[in-house]
Amino acid sequence: MIKSVASTQRPRGPERYSAATWIRARPCTRNVFPLIVRTESGLDGSVTARRLPVFAVRCGAGRCLCAPVWLLLLGLLSASPSVLAVTPHNVLVIYSNSRLLPATVEGDRGLVEGFAARPDLTVAVSAEFLDQPRFSGEAYERTFVTYLREKYAAHPPDAILTGSNEALDFMLRHRAELFEHVPIVYMAVASTYLQSVSPLPADVVGTPLTYDFLGTVEQALRWHPAAGRLVVVTGTSRWDREWEASIRAQVANLRHGLSIDFLAGLPIAELQQRLRLLPTRSIVFTPGFFRDGSGREFTPREATRLIAAASSAPVYATYSPFLGTGIVGGRMANIDAMGRLGAQTAIALIEGADPAALRMPAAMPTPLQVDWRQLRRWGISARAVPADAIVRFKEPTLWEAYRNLALIGSAVMLLQAGLIVALLLERRRRRRTVAALARSEQHMRLAAQAASLSTWIHGGDTVDATAPERGSRHADDAPGPLVDFRDTLARISPQDRAVVDTALRDALDTNGEFEVEYRIEAPDGESRWYSARGRADHAQAPRLLGVAIDVTQRKRAEIQAEQDRAALYHMTRVSLLGQLSASIAHQLNQPLASILGNAEAAQKMLEREPVDLPELREICADIVAEDHRAAQVIRRLGVLFKRGEPLFEPLDVNELVRDTIEFTRSILTTRHVTLAMHLAPALPPIAGDRVQLQQMLLNLIVNAADAMAELPEDRRVLTIATTLDAGAVRLSVADRGPGVPVEALEKLFEPFWSTKAGGMGMGLAICRSIVEAHRGSLLVTNAPAGGAEFCALLPALASP
Amino acid sequence: MTASPSAPTVFLVDDDVQVLKAQARLLREHGFKTDVFESAETFLAQHDAAAPGCLVLDVNLPGLDGLALQRRLAQVGSSRPIVFLTGHGDIPMSVQAIKAGAVDFLTKPVAGATLVAAVRAGAAQDAQARQAMGEIATLRQRHAILSPREREVLAGLAAGKLNKQIAGELGIAEATVKFHRARLMERMQARTVAELMHLAARLEL
Repeated sequence: MIKSVASTQRPRGPERYSAATWIRARPCTRNVFPLIVRTESGLDGSVTARRLPVFAVRCGAGRCLCAPVWLLLLGLLSASPSVLAVTPHNVLVIYSNSRLLPATVEGDRGLVEGFAARPDLTVAVSAEFLDQPRFSGEAYERTFVTYLREKYAAHPPDAILTGSNEALDFMLRHRAELFEHVPIVYMAVASTYLQSVSPLPADVVGTPLTYDFLGTVEQALRWHPAAGRLVVVTGTSRWDREWEASIRAQVANLRHGLSIDFLAGLPIAELQQRLRLLPTRSIVFTPGFFRDGSGREFTPREATRLIAAASSAPVYATYSPFLGTGIVGGRMANIDAMGRLGAQTAIALIEGADPAALRMPAAMPTPLQVDWRQLRRWGISARAVPADAIVRFKEPTLWEAYRNLALIGSAVMLLQAGLIVALLLERRRRRRTVAALARSEQHMRLAAQAASLSTWIHGGDTVDATAPERGSRHADDAPGPLVDFRDTLARISPQDRAVVDTALRDALDTNGEFEVEYRIEAPDGESRWYSARGRADHAQAPRLLGVAIDVTQRKRAEIQAEQDRAALYHMTRVSLLGQLSASIAHQLNQPLASILGNAEAAQKMLEREPVDLPELREICADIVAEDHRAAQVIRRLGVLFKRGEPLFEPLDVNELVRDTIEFTRSILTTRHVTLAMHLAPALPPIAGDRVQLQQMLLNLIVNAADAMAELPEDRRVLTIATTLDAGAVRLSVADRGPGVPVEALEKLFEPFWSTKAGGMGMGLAICRSIVEAHRGSLLVTNAPAGGAEFCALLPALASP
Repeated sequence: MTASPSAPTVFLVDDDVQVLKAQARLLREHGFKTDVFESAETFLAQHDAAAPGCLVLDVNLPGLDGLALQRRLAQVGSSRPIVFLTGHGDIPMSVQAIKAGAVDFLTKPVAGATLVAAVRAGAAQDAQARQAMGEIATLRQRHAILSPREREVLAGLAAGKLNKQIAGELGIAEATVKFHRARLMERMQARTVAELMHLAARLEL
């Protein structure tokens, strides 16, 4: 026979009931939600329960409300009774044993949760405790009945719940005199007991509780297949004896070969001793007990705790409050689930459901419930635990407990590790780069030293430069290895400063390159030449990067060569003019003759009267004009004789031709050379040095005239032509002589190569170098009709 | 000053117009008539060969130059005196010119007096030449009216033959020769035999 656990519990010692008030705040989505205020008391205290609608303030972040706030609100609402407009439904719960019995507490919690699940209802729950078996007897019962009747006369319950067999038994016995037609919902009632009292009235409903001993032991044997022994531990109280009998009746159903020992009615000390010495292949089952062999009383839970503490074998039980005392577990109903079911049934009845129509479960389910820690202790694999088992006290693994933290931590660590790796790689790269840079710098320094180069950066506000340690005047002048380029700029010779400025600015503006040569004034007055070469760099701020090199030696050599060349040019020019002296003399004598003639004519005119004044005026005008003409010839000649630096200026090639022809006209006449000129109109100017180009042209003309000396006079034609040819002015001098022998075409322009007796062989060499100095080219071809044509191509300044 | 109608003409040839103009002026001031040409070719084509006077010629001329013109004039039998002028002269050139009969070879710039003197000389030479040409023409006319026998006698006398020799060659009497001689001397207006011989020489008999 199975006893109701609740009814079998007996409180230990005297218990004072003091009013215990607890507040449950159950946040919900509405602003107004019910609050159950429950006051419990024993016989010596008043029992009130009320449920108040309260305005609650929800916290934004969490879902909790501070208790002091609630108390304050409660106080305010209590002071204004008009708020309590709703009449609460009264529910009375009668427990057979002490308020503090673990099963009672657990069931009660379920009950309260069950009511709280219906916040729309106002339910006042009162609880009464029979405190059996400590208090019993007819007089007690009578007094208790009277107490209940009088206490609830003003607030009769709408439904009654009973906890355990004894409470139901009490209510059934005193129902008529207490609350005759109030429906009763029973809880924690063993099905065996129900059979003894059936049939129950229709308005007494509930779900019986079963204790699945066999199911529990069979599960234990599955976990411990090697176990050959089942030890059942019970006590000596009436309830304990009933448990023992019930188990003895059921063990026959267990598998064969399992030896079953009952440790019943042993004093606790001996019992513990025996349990400690249990052979390993044993399992223990206990329903707990109220009293041991020595008469000492326990709560079954306490007894179970002592049993489990001593036992060297795993302990199983069928009562959920025992979980946590050290038992492995068992098939057992949930007491709090039972409470919730009771509350739901009571609510249904309050709301007017027909008790007979209520569909109640046949029994409370007895799921397998285990203590995870004990599974670990007894080496029961988690895989062996059925999936539907309820595992309690499972310590969350570190992973479960700190999953997010661990994930975040891992992520952070990974990131950190990644960062460290990246930094290490970066460091390695940087070291390599630094080493490479150092090598590169060494090479560069070496190269710069070898080449006497200074390097510099010029950009924005920052200007710095490095110079090799020696070899460069830049470096010599600087106090340290750095040269301030601004200083350098400041010391550039005024003649060159504009050129340098323009070159630098152009490079910056066009993002291009520049190359410029300039002089630096040394303190001793001697200037040195530098060549700076670089490019603009707009990668960061606009700036210029470059190198400067001392080119004084080269420049001096160049200047010397230039001077030598100029001297040579001059010498050959003077020699050429010597050849042309007769022609030039003629050119000069013409105006002189004219002037003289006119002047003497005038003198003669003045000797007689009357003076023909108009004629005289005309003569004077002619004299002036002819004087100018003579001066012009002398000026042109003077320029040719002068020995000066080349001066490049825009020139009209046609004008140059006409000027030059003046010097040769006479010699051409003398030699019976006919001059043909085909000058293209509107030629663009070229940049050139007048003297050099005239020298070149004179040379070509004299050569052409010489080439035709053997021809009959009527065939001596010299053609000078100018044309515009693809951006260049083409100046050609053609003769009708024998032409240039093919083998001479190559050598013609070489110095000291001459076909003329007494010729120095410099003429054409100089002509070519003059044209090339004008960035042009001088070519010679034999014309198809005979004769040589010398053709100078000179780049034009701009298209016309 | 306007030149007198009988004044000689100076022909000026120079490719330099200014020079031409100045010299023409100067010569006109000295009483010459002037005629200017800018090239030898123009001169040849246009000048008045009959006009007395001389030629002032620039050596350096495009096309036909001065010396060539001198040769050309000689070829056509012109005896017009030439004064050469040149901007630059060299000795071979002047020698060539003078040998070919130039009156003078002057270099520019030439002093007015020098030029005028040369031109005068040239003009005088031209006048003389023209005069000589006139005398020979008279002699030829006189010679033309002689009978054939008289011309034969004159030719014999011019060859220095004696009367007797001439009579013998001609088959006539010596007296007849004397007769013819007297007659032709009269017709040739020669007073003496020596004068007749001179006239015969001029006639290049």
